[in-house]
Amino acid sequence: MCRSFADYIRLVAAYLRINLNAQLAYRGAFFSEAIAMFVNNGAWVLFWVFFFTRFPVLRGWSFKDVVSLWAICAAGYGIAYCAMGNAHRQLASTITNGELDMWLLHPRAVLPHLLLGRTIPSAWGDWIFGYVVYLAFVRPDARHMAMFVVLSFTVAMAFVGLGIMAGSLSFYVGNAGAMSDQWRDAVITFATHPPALFDGAMKILLFTVIPAGFVSYLPVATLKSMSMRDLFMAFSGALGLLSVSAGVFYHGLRRYESGNLISMNG
Amino acid sequence: MRSSALRYGWIGYTAARSNMAYRGEVLFRSSFLAVILYIFMRLWTVVYAESKNGRIAGMTLPQMLWYLVITEAVFMSAPRIWAEVDQDVRTGRLAVQLIRPLSYTAGHLSRAMGERVVRFAINLIIGSIVALFLVGPIAMSIRGLAMFAVVLPVAFVLDFFGMFLVGLSAFWLESAAGIALIYSRSVMLFGGMFLPLEVYPDALQPVLRILPFASMVSAPGRMFVNPSLALLKESLITQGVAVVAYAGLVSTVQFIAFRRLFSNGG
Repeated sequence: MCRSFADYIRLVAAYLRINLNAQLAYRGAFFSEAIAMFVNNGAWVLFWVFFFTRFPVLRGWSFKDVVSLWAICAAGYGIAYCAMGNAHRQLASTITNGELDMWLLHPRAVLPHLLLGRTIPSAWGDWIFGYVVYLAFVRPDARHMAMFVVLSFTVAMAFVGLGIMAGSLSFYVGNAGAMSDQWRDAVITFATHPPALFDGAMKILLFTVIPAGFVSYLPVATLKSMSMRDLFMAFSGALGLLSVSAGVFYHGLRRYESGNLISMNG
Repeated sequence: MRSSALRYGWIGYTAARSNMAYRGEVLFRSSFLAVILYIFMRLWTVVYAESKNGRIAGMTLPQMLWYLVITEAVFMSAPRIWAEVDQDVRTGRLAVQLIRPLSYTAGHLSRAMGERVVRFAINLIIGSIVALFLVGPIAMSIRGLAMFAVVLPVAFVLDFFGMFLVGLSAFWLESAAGIALIYSRSVMLFGGMFLPLEVYPDALQPVLRILPFASMVSAPGRMFVNPSLALLKESLITQGVAVVAYAGLVSTVQFIAFRRLFSNGG
C-alpha cells in the first residue's frame, strides 16, 4: 500500500514537471495568467480592507479571519488545479464530447491519469497568492504556518473532489458545462465569505449541496483553534468529498459513450 | 447621417436579437447573480444590525440591496468586447473589418449596446425577483426612472470604451486577457459595485469620484435608488468628461495601433 502510494506521488511529480514545461513553452502567456489571477484575488482582499476600515468587526470576524479564509481557499484551489488541472472547468465538456478514450487506455486507474493530465496557469497565481497573503497579513508563527500548509493540501483535496463531482454531472445530464460552472462558482463564492453571515438551513446546505464548509470554514476554524480534532474533521470532510466524487465518476463512467475521436497528445 | 444612424442601429438590433435567441442560456448563466445578491444581502443585513443605524451611505437596507441589484446587473451585463478586438488583431480579421464601409469602433459599439441591453434586462429581472423576495420594493417614481434611463446608456458607452482600449492592447501584448482582468477588477472595486463610494475611506472618495469607473457602475445604482436633479447633473457632468476623454484616448491609441497593421494578402 505504501509502495503504491509512493508510486502515485512519483506519478504526480512527473506529470507536474511535464505539464509545467509544456506551459512554459508559452512563457509570456503563462506568467501573465498567473499574475492576473494574483491581481484578481488581490482586488478582493482590497475590497475587504475597505470594508473592515469602515466596519471593523463582522459578527466576531475580523479582517485577519477573512484574509485567512481567502488565503486558504486560494492556496487550496491553486494546489488542486496546478497538479490536477483536468479537474478544472473542462472535465464536463471532455465527458460530453466523448474525449475520455485516450485516458481509458492508460494502465492503472483512469481517474488519476485524467486529473493529472494538465496544469492551469492561473492556479499557480492562486497558490502563490494564498501563501503570500497569509504571511503578509496574518503574520503567523511557525506552528500556524505549518498548520496552514497542511490545511492547504486538505482544501486542495476538497477542490479536486468538487471538480470531479461537478464535471461528472455530464455523465448524467448531457452537456453539464454551464451547470457545473455555476455550482463550482457558487461554492467558491460562499467559501470566501464569513460563515457567520449564514445560519439555519443555509448552514446545512453549506456542508452538503454547497460544500463550502469543507473548502474553507472548517480549515479556518482549525487555524483559529489549532486543535487536532478540528484538523481531523477538516481532513475527513475533504476526504469524504473526494471519495464520494470518485464514486460518482466511476458510476457515471459506465454510462460513458465514446466520441470515436482520435487525438495525439505530445 | 440618418442612414448611418439607421445602419448602426440595425447592427445593434441584430446583436440584441441574436442574444435573445440564446436567452435560456443567458438566463441560466445569470442565475449566479442570485447567489451574489443573497450573500451580499446577508452581509449588509449583519452590518445594518450591528451598526444600529437605519442608514448607511444615505441608504436603508432595502435601498442598499436594490443598489446592488443595479450595480451587479450593469457589471455582469458587460459583453467581452476586448476579446473580440483581441481576436480581430490576432487572427488578422481586422484587415477585413477595415475595408467594410463601417467605422470599426462604431460597429463594435452598436453590437455591444445591443448585446448589453438584453443581458442587462435579464439580469435586472433576476435581480428584481431576488430583491423583492428578500427585502420587498422601494419607493420609485417615473421621474426617477427617467433620470436613471438617461444615465444608464452613457455608463454602457463608457464601459465599452474601456473594454475597447483593453482589446487594442493586443497590438503590443501577447494576450490582452491579463489587462482585461485588471480592468474588470478596477471597475468592480473602484466603481462602487459592492460598496457605495461613501463607505470607502474618506481620503479615497474624491479620487474615486474622478475616476471613470464610478460613472459606469455607481452612478446608475445611485440614480435608481436615490434619484435627484442634483445627482443627475453631477453624474452627467462626470460622465460627459469621461466620455470625451475616453473617446479621445481611443482615437489616439487606434491611430497609433493601426499604423502597426500590415496586410500580407492571402
